[in-house]
Amino acid sequence: MAQDVLQQTYDAIVVGSGATGGWAAKRLSEAGLKVALVEAGRPVTAREFTEHMPAFQLKYRNHSPEVMRTRPIQRQCYACMEYNYEWFVNDLENPYSTPPDKPFTWQRLRVLGGRSLVWGRQSYRLSDVDFKAASRDGYDVDWPFSYADLAPFYDIVERYVGISGAAERDEMLPDGQFLPPMKMSCGEIRLRDSIKKRFGRTLTIGRTAVLTQPHNGRAACHYCGPCERGCMTYSYFSSPFTTVKDARKTGNCTLITDAIVSHVDMDTSNNLAQGVTFIHRTTKETKQVRGRAVILCAQALESTRILLNSSTREYSKGLANSSGLLGHYLMDHVVGGGASGTFDDLQVPPSANPPHRPNGIYVVRFRNTPATGNHPHFIRGYGFQGGASPEFNTGAPGIGADYKRAVKLGTYGVSLGAFGESLANFDNFCEIDPNLKDAWGIPALRISMAHGKNEADLMRDAGITAAEMLEAAGARNVGLTTRVEMPGMAIHEVGTARMGNDPKKSVLDSFCQSHDVSNLLVTDGSCFVSSACQNPTLTMMAITVRACDHLVERFRRNEI
Amino acid sequence: MPYPLIKRRDLIRAAVFATAASALGPAFSLAQAVSSGLTPAARGEDGSLFLTDRNWKAAFLNDHQNETLVALSDVVIPATGTPGAKEALVNRYLDLLLSVQPAEFQRQFVAALDFINKESQGQFGKDFRALALDDQIWLLTPWAYPQRASHWTEWNETRWKATPDLGQQRFEWLKALIAMAYYGSEIGQKELGWDGESINGPYEGCTHPGTTHT
Repeated sequence: MAQDVLQQTYDAIVVGSGATGGWAAKRLSEAGLKVALVEAGRPVTAREFTEHMPAFQLKYRNHSPEVMRTRPIQRQCYACMEYNYEWFVNDLENPYSTPPDKPFTWQRLRVLGGRSLVWGRQSYRLSDVDFKAASRDGYDVDWPFSYADLAPFYDIVERYVGISGAAERDEMLPDGQFLPPMKMSCGEIRLRDSIKKRFGRTLTIGRTAVLTQPHNGRAACHYCGPCERGCMTYSYFSSPFTTVKDARKTGNCTLITDAIVSHVDMDTSNNLAQGVTFIHRTTKETKQVRGRAVILCAQALESTRILLNSSTREYSKGLANSSGLLGHYLMDHVVGGGASGTFDDLQVPPSANPPHRPNGIYVVRFRNTPATGNHPHFIRGYGFQGGASPEFNTGAPGIGADYKRAVKLGTYGVSLGAFGESLANFDNFCEIDPNLKDAWGIPALRISMAHGKNEADLMRDAGITAAEMLEAAGARNVGLTTRVEMPGMAIHEVGTARMGNDPKKSVLDSFCQSHDVSNLLVTDGSCFVSSACQNPTLTMMAITVRACDHLVERFRRNEI
Repeated sequence: MPYPLIKRRDLIRAAVFATAASALGPAFSLAQAVSSGLTPAARGEDGSLFLTDRNWKAAFLNDHQNETLVALSDVVIPATGTPGAKEALVNRYLDLLLSVQPAEFQRQFVAALDFINKESQGQFGKDFRALALDDQIWLLTPWAYPQRASHWTEWNETRWKATPDLGQQRFEWLKALIAMAYYGSEIGQKELGWDGESINGPYEGCTHPGTTHT
């Protein structure tokens, strides 16, 4: 590592290079600030992408013993595969603990771009029904800003990222700056029309960060399918080939990879953060980077871990934790409820060949809305994601030639799976486990989270309503599930350093700045006040841009 | 107009690889020299080649088990107008898979094969692999379809469900593994119509007239 990289003092240190870290690096460096972008993993190039490699060329066809041995937790995520498992953390090197009765799956990547390399790409705005939910139902608190405050930043992010989708004029899901929507299948059109006619609900094509036309120097999607294995045309949004690349182009952004940040360093003489300490991933040397501002974008739990590990004499409970709330109000969308069936009358043969649409359908939240009123059993709501398409029927009965024919004939499957709001709850939290360290000697987290009755009721209702909608659309063989999956499965963890206007009741202000340390920001999902039910990454990126623009203004006013 | 498959794919590959290395510029890391951190797939290795190795030897199955599996898979998915499970080397892939599975999985697999041989011995006095094809089909076919409660007995549905057919359960599990191994192979993918291309034009969705599905 070039020593001069570590000897200068940067204007800003951004920790983490994923969806939010990439935006922070881009926004700040394009504003003229000198930025150090610190990433725990290694660099990545398109040469290692495997999206076009057929599965039969994998030795174990995705049952690799190496993945089972080293990624027993990570492989719970569909995207951690024999193709790409090295992007995910080695669970043996990166432990965390949970109470025995509260399992939690924590999916992490350590590579440039982080989880933006494998994310699901679904991109939905929150509305004031979400930001002001507490005012409506009395549970917990509102966010410290409204939709109108964030809308311009949603616009900025969407215009740059490229979100394909359709405008629906549904108050629960504000429309945005869309590229042309992807097309729907026959079964999805049937379901959309039926749902609208029978229930007055909105089904739309997934709003996704995948390009349907050339955009900002990137090519349109070529519909090969598995975006989570990389994209050689950069048609889905991942930070290394977009925001990080732009930041580097300015000449103002220095990328420091393989740097596992252990804690934020404080200057106690002025109560300001002065940089971060990291352990080099391979040499295990301890090093520091110095800066005038520190922006944590390491992912909610990881950023919180860094702050909890940054205790000083003045901040004995963890940095930026005078409220005592750091680590609390951990949320992750509740999943598991839904239904599936078949459209037996749709005679469309399945195909092993592309095009494979890397996207599904979305049913907009319809419970506890201003239009539908309050549900008697639960507050907040859920949205459905799913799809309808012909599938090969390897479960067909029989043997021999008849079986081979039945497999190819296929079935037309249709399914809906819910993502429900996880209520903010003080008792869902993470803390430092005093008896556990990672392979670099950094104290690890103990995560304690369980979904409650409201989440269980959401999934119960979701199973019922999904089955009703499928049957109303003519589906057969309908089965439903009302189970509640373990927290972490949605990979939408948020809320451990919540925003708010009252320093006694929140960790960050409305611009993601620590109430306690004025040059310390956290702009990943940590800052969320509630989880809503929409996929969170778009909102995280918009919040990051808003926070960074505010920070730039403070630099201009010489407040930092 | 036909979609220019190969030209488009090659153009994409050439364009990307020409720019990939310079896209990010140098990062300050020692790690690149220490470890590539790439999976075999990311290194471009074809992991399927060992299946056709002339010196292939089973890693888990003994000869009797392997021959039973070959015979079983050939009945479940025979060569018809297209290659079957034997040509797809289903036994070799499943042997590899078994070699890395937990002991309980391995035990259940062996138990399932043993069960079929025991039934074969009971009915024909021979191991399954030694049966004529018609006898193999005769043995397996009742297990290959969903079982229903008989209309002629006094057994009610509840009592019937409480006594599952062990043979069917074991055969269905073996059949699912054979199907996974076959349709996951290159031969199996071609059986499903795979044309070898990973890019094939934009997704057009439903192209029927507007009210067809309403």
